Amino acid sequence: MMTQRNEKHDGLHRAVDKASDALGGMVGRASANTAGSTSAGAFAENAAIGDMYEIAAGKLALRHARSDRVKAAAMKMIDDHTTSTHQLRSAMLMNETKGVPPLPDSIDARRKTMLDHLEAAPADKFDVTYLDQQILAHKETVDLMTGFRDTGDNAQLRSFAAGTAPVVQRHLTHMEHLRAELG
Amino acid sequence: MAFNPLTERGIPIERQFRSWSELAYQPYDTREVHPYTRCRVILMNGIEVEAIINSHNAARRIADTGVKQMLALVRKAEQQQQKAVNWLIPGSESTIANTIGYEQVAVDLTSWIARHEPDPYLNQVYEFGVLEDYDHLYRYANLMDLMGERRKAEEITGDLTEILPGRPTIFHHRHPHDELRRPMTVEASSFQSILNALTVVSAEQQTMNFYMNAGNRPEDPMARSLYLEIAMVEEQHVSHYESILDPTTPELLNLALHEYNECWLYWSCMVTETDPRIKQVWETHLAMELEHLRLACEMMKEVDGIDPATVFPAQGIDAPMTFEPNKQYVRDVLARTVDNSASDSQFVPVDQLPAGHRFFDYQATVNAGDVPSESVIRRHREEFGGEYRFATEGSHPIASLQESGTTEGTTYAQVVERHMENA
Repeated sequence: MMTQRNEKHDGLHRAVDKASDALGGMVGRASANTAGSTSAGAFAENAAIGDMYEIAAGKLALRHARSDRVKAAAMKMIDDHTTSTHQLRSAMLMNETKGVPPLPDSIDARRKTMLDHLEAAPADKFDVTYLDQQILAHKETVDLMTGFRDTGDNAQLRSFAAGTAPVVQRHLTHMEHLRAELG
Repeated sequence: MAFNPLTERGIPIERQFRSWSELAYQPYDTREVHPYTRCRVILMNGIEVEAIINSHNAARRIADTGVKQMLALVRKAEQQQQKAVNWLIPGSESTIANTIGYEQVAVDLTSWIARHEPDPYLNQVYEFGVLEDYDHLYRYANLMDLMGERRKAEEITGDLTEILPGRPTIFHHRHPHDELRRPMTVEASSFQSILNALTVVSAEQQTMNFYMNAGNRPEDPMARSLYLEIAMVEEQHVSHYESILDPTTPELLNLALHEYNECWLYWSCMVTETDPRIKQVWETHLAMELEHLRLACEMMKEVDGIDPATVFPAQGIDAPMTFEPNKQYVRDVLARTVDNSASDSQFVPVDQLPAGHRFFDYQATVNAGDVPSESVIRRHREEFGGEYRFATEGSHPIASLQESGTTEGTTYAQVVERHMENA
């Protein structure tokens, strides 16, 4: 039986949302590969917003996901991206990051749209929507972290990126496995 | 006063080895020694132990036979230095009396380092740790009375360090993830920050090792259990401090930084020592360390192509690390941060930790049943009619700790209790 939420959100909308998320993901990867790879300000902003998105999406998944494995992955995302948030905030207290603009305190429009799409996903499509977004978002974060690690203009944030890159790479691999399992 | 170990000449390495009798210096007199001379001996033992363990770890990861030979050569000299320093502590100084000395080192060393730390985040790291060691000093001082030691803790510490409750030990026990701080980078941090971190890591590591091995020596179950509990906090402290070191430092640069730090500290001991006999030990060891630093720098340049001039400050180091009273400073840190806890790399007041934070589960697990650091104070009250304290600067800066060092009425106790009720 279709839920009310499902009825509101027909197949056409889902296709549009998915295409929009994919487009947003491409924009994000392009941005991660350009300014985010070199400029400390752009990197820190993008990293902070990425963590906010991950934590918010994880909370939605804890509420709506059907698969226990997806819920467990969401919990892991909340924990690890909370740690990453704390590490980044600590880095920003150090003399080594003097002059880097303060971290944003709210999410950007692109990630807000992704969260809106996730919130609006029909119950029977929630898990795949979450995992598709996770793969897109983590590809962007891996690009951001490895890019800044290799060419960033601030030593402390390069160190942060070097410490975070392997964690998000493992996230990406895990999300891809989960997505393959769901078919 | 400035000191540049790169421009001084040391004792050639082939002339550094000493006979057994040369190494066995006459120990200090435990009743006559200046408290800060004892502190210097304890600190430099920790510095040598770290030098040795670091060299062993490097040797296990390096295939180059030439580097291994250099490490083995210098390490043998460091081992002799460690024996010469640690054997200055007399057998007549009991384990608990020596423990009081260890905790005085932790309080006055970490306070000095915090006051001289240029980085605001790293300063928080030191201030967070010092309040915990301050509390350990107080708990062990109470234990010392219970163990029947014929002198009071202040006879070990002099009137240089107050002995009062800090952040109560029962609340030090945190989930291991909450001990991991943000590392500095060798590339961009202040050089003083690197020396500060290497120094405190070494000191805390030897305290951890000391309690790991000596904590089971007392027969009294109270003493054994207090050492056990505090030994677990020292594990946390080593994790806490070592996590601020740059984990990407190349092996030979790491070795050179260790040697430079030893030079700085032996020089510090030499220029601040009041006992002329022990001052001579510091002077000799400084001359040895200058050579160890030269060898490490040569190898670093040859193998890794790192020029020491690009790493070390051209003008050397301005200030010696100095053991000196920090009473008002510690009181100020207590007043500002006694209720702080940690969440990952950040320090936050315990009442701002979110409900369900892992701190509360960890607390509930390890503090189930008797908590030795609380029991030791209760038992002291029962047997002596009050707690042991040593205050020279007036009443305790935290109202809830003015009369009682057990935790009733503290913010921490209220927060943990509230969590238990809601769990």
